[in-house]
Amino acid sequence: MTKRVMLCHHGDITDPGAQGFDPQQQGKDTVFVVRQGGHYYAYADICPHYGDTSLPWKKDAYLDVAGENIVCAAHGALFNIRSGLCTSGPCQGDALRPIPVIHESDGSLWITLEDE
Amino acid sequence: MNIIGPDLLIFGVDDVQACREFAADYGLTSSGEHRFLSLDGTGIEIRAKDDPSLPAPLDTGSMLRKTVYGVADQASVDAIASELRKDREVITLDDGSIESMDDHGFVLGFQVTVRQPIDLPAEAINAPGAPAQRGVNEVAVTKEDSPKPRTLSHVVYFVPDAPKQEAFYRDRLGFVTTDRFTHVGPFMRPAGTQDHHTVFFIQTPPHMKGIEHFTFHMGGPTDVVTAGTNMVNKGYQSFWGPGRHIFGSNWFWYFKSPFGCNMEFDADMDLHDDQWQAREAMPGADNSQVFLLQYREKWAPMGPPPKPEA
Repeated sequence: MTKRVMLCHHGDITDPGAQGFDPQQQGKDTVFVVRQGGHYYAYADICPHYGDTSLPWKKDAYLDVAGENIVCAAHGALFNIRSGLCTSGPCQGDALRPIPVIHESDGSLWITLEDE
Repeated sequence: MNIIGPDLLIFGVDDVQACREFAADYGLTSSGEHRFLSLDGTGIEIRAKDDPSLPAPLDTGSMLRKTVYGVADQASVDAIASELRKDREVITLDDGSIESMDDHGFVLGFQVTVRQPIDLPAEAINAPGAPAQRGVNEVAVTKEDSPKPRTLSHVVYFVPDAPKQEAFYRDRLGFVTTDRFTHVGPFMRPAGTQDHHTVFFIQTPPHMKGIEHFTFHMGGPTDVVTAGTNMVNKGYQSFWGPGRHIFGSNWFWYFKSPFGCNMEFDADMDLHDDQWQAREAMPGADNSQVFLLQYREKWAPMGPPPKPEA
């Protein structure tokens, strides 16, 4: 079984910008969405370096200052926003786990979760 | 080679404002245009990554640009300069310190230490069987406590050749290995301190070369947990901890940071002298900590207030 979960309205995220979400209500963000050039990219908030730690040093701090890379704050790994591929840092060559984003005509952003 | 320990870490960062806020919230005090210092005057320097005054970065992009060691006296600075000039360039800077490089290209500075003596009590506890450490009617904690980092403690580096790094710090700079993780690397202390370690080198692939974390000593375990809780309450995100390490026995709590590495609070580290025999253990969760706790929001086992009598 799967279920669709609405994350936010696209206007809630600046361009470029990023926001973390807790769609399974675990008490911490487990998914984040990056907005860049009118496109939306969602990833699991897990750095592939150790495979069980989250990326940001504070809520929603997923991007570098220029808004050109996703950053893991633990050891400074950089990831391509569009592909999720780590281009520099401990997990170079590994990638973030992508999550398809559904962008509805009313501007809402959704993802599909496996229902446990 | 009477090296005491790290005096200053110089960073070239992507987000200067975020790093300044982080350093202040961590408990360091702003000093001059670029520095944030602990109570004994050791600390960090934060500059923009393209600041022309910085040494060149490592090719991995690590934000740590220089580690400055404090040494006992000018004779020690001169002795280090003389030793390193045997096979590498050593320059003397305007402030009288010297600058060179280790065998992995990490830029090092050496100066007569800036550390000031600090006169503060350690965390005091009362325990049956031992004399009370706190006086009668002297309470230990309040909700408003905001403990300050006391001194720059240690730096952990990812290096592609840990044995080579250990040999350089031992043979050229007089560091002693206190313990090691098999196939990972050594914990080392310089001759001028008894702290279990001021450096730990972790063997990694070359593309990881850089700083893994840095940390300041706090006044005790309660300071570590209080300072960390204050960080969580300001929105900063824990990486690992709180807990207590086995090698060094230090309490720890690591936070992700905008410095491209973790920043730790630590306290109550073991002291060693030359009689100590270095231990060795396999790396992994079981050998790296005696226990690991996890923060949760404040909670208490109580229900709503009692209903008024009818």
